[in-house]
Amino acid sequence: MAKTVDAARCKSCGKLMYPIHFYCLACKGREFEPVPIEGDGTLLTWTRSYALPLDYAQLFLTLGIIQMDQGIRVTGQLDIADPKTGMRVRAHVGKVRETMGKDIHGLIFQPVRG
Amino acid sequence: MRDVAIVGVGTTQFGRAQWSLLKMMCEASHDAITDARIGDREIDGIFVANMGAGRNNKTLGIASALVDRMNLYPTPAEAIENGPASGASAVKTGYMAVASGMCDLVLVCGGERMREVNNLEATECVSYISHRYAEYVYGVTLPALAGMFARLYMQKYGVTQEHLAMVAIKNHDHGFVNRKAHIRERVTMEGLLHGPDVANNNPYVADPLRFYDCCPVSDGASAVLLAPASMAGDFAKRPVRIAGVGQATDCQAVHERPDPTELPAVRIAAQKAFQMAGLTPADIDVCELHDAFTILEIAESEECGFFPKGEGHKALERGETRLGGKLPISPSGGLKARGHPVGNTGVSQIVELVLQLRGEAGPYQVPSAKRGFAVNFGGFGNNVVATVLSEGV
Repeated sequence: MAKTVDAARCKSCGKLMYPIHFYCLACKGREFEPVPIEGDGTLLTWTRSYALPLDYAQLFLTLGIIQMDQGIRVTGQLDIADPKTGMRVRAHVGKVRETMGKDIHGLIFQPVRG
Repeated sequence: MRDVAIVGVGTTQFGRAQWSLLKMMCEASHDAITDARIGDREIDGIFVANMGAGRNNKTLGIASALVDRMNLYPTPAEAIENGPASGASAVKTGYMAVASGMCDLVLVCGGERMREVNNLEATECVSYISHRYAEYVYGVTLPALAGMFARLYMQKYGVTQEHLAMVAIKNHDHGFVNRKAHIRERVTMEGLLHGPDVANNNPYVADPLRFYDCCPVSDGASAVLLAPASMAGDFAKRPVRIAGVGQATDCQAVHERPDPTELPAVRIAAQKAFQMAGLTPADIDVCELHDAFTILEIAESEECGFFPKGEGHKALERGETRLGGKLPISPSGGLKARGHPVGNTGVSQIVELVLQLRGEAGPYQVPSAKRGFAVNFGGFGNNVVATVLSEGV
């Protein structure tokens, strides 16, 4: 089964949030259903970070905050050579970190072409 | 509630420590005790601020260890870990202990020794304050969060790289004459942005932020002694009153904020501190802001109410925030030059303000400063403590 990164939809009021909280941000509900984060969004801001933590062999990471068309915002890695704020991007799930031999999957964004 | 006074202060040299974490904390505490001349009065409460000793120094239960090294047992002691706001949180906790009547003489000591590990480990350690699943796993670090914040902020308010460099130039000028500061060198606009060697001297760390937009990784310890204002006359130095303390929190993942260029926790914490003190930003003579990144000094100066939103960089440009200006910001050099031993920083800001309000700041004294203000910024703005100090009781 393909890996997903899930947002949480409140079962009482329908609010979608990411990341999940113990209480719904809108109605304090406590039951949620997972909703895969997918599709397109708009790049709000980004950085090319050379201040990396452990676990990375490369020189830099490109990171951004994306407003998803799904109605939530997310932080993710950008697989984009020349990012521009306001550009349209598409979410994929892939390996974002490897800690102690274990792959961690997360959101990676690429430009929407055409 | 009783009024609370700061009756003693102490601080070590910041930079790369010559001593162990505990030895630094003992030295700072000893300085504060000596400064106040407590005689045979008994310290009856101890609060220790630290963030990373468990990871970086293989030390847990640090308050107990400090009590042991200083032979202060059986005095009650505990550590306060509140990320980079640990320092001001510990001062606040000490304030509550004295104000409530539970304690009469409290020692608050902050200490951090980050350079025991390499830079990669130190950056990793600080990144643990980001959201583990929504930020940390992506390789997000504090410089990365600050870089994304800066890009948006600069775009919205017309702040340029020159403005960011002006914060660095100002705070390095200030820190140059502070003998306790970590970095004692002056920098110029030419050297930071326009010279031939900029790519080597001032490379990007998390663009648009460059090396000189980021604070150094520092070791250091600071301490304050708190007593009821009614007893302040028993001690050697002119007392400084804690007039107001405000604190506020916010969501952990930065992307969840309705407007990612706002720092509501800074605004609320400052408003609460001013309200408690019965003062306004216009009453403040000197402040120490949390310039872990140059952009933060500009944003905080606005959120705290010193300048309208989007005007902070203009006040900076006019020289108003420089020593000698209308509102000197971080005459000690700030985190940028004095250094940022993370869990200690909030305590050291209070120490610096006390020196200012006593008139003991020497070459970086703000003339006849009567009221001071500090912001200690935790997480990326998700836990902020603001403190207002007033000369005399």
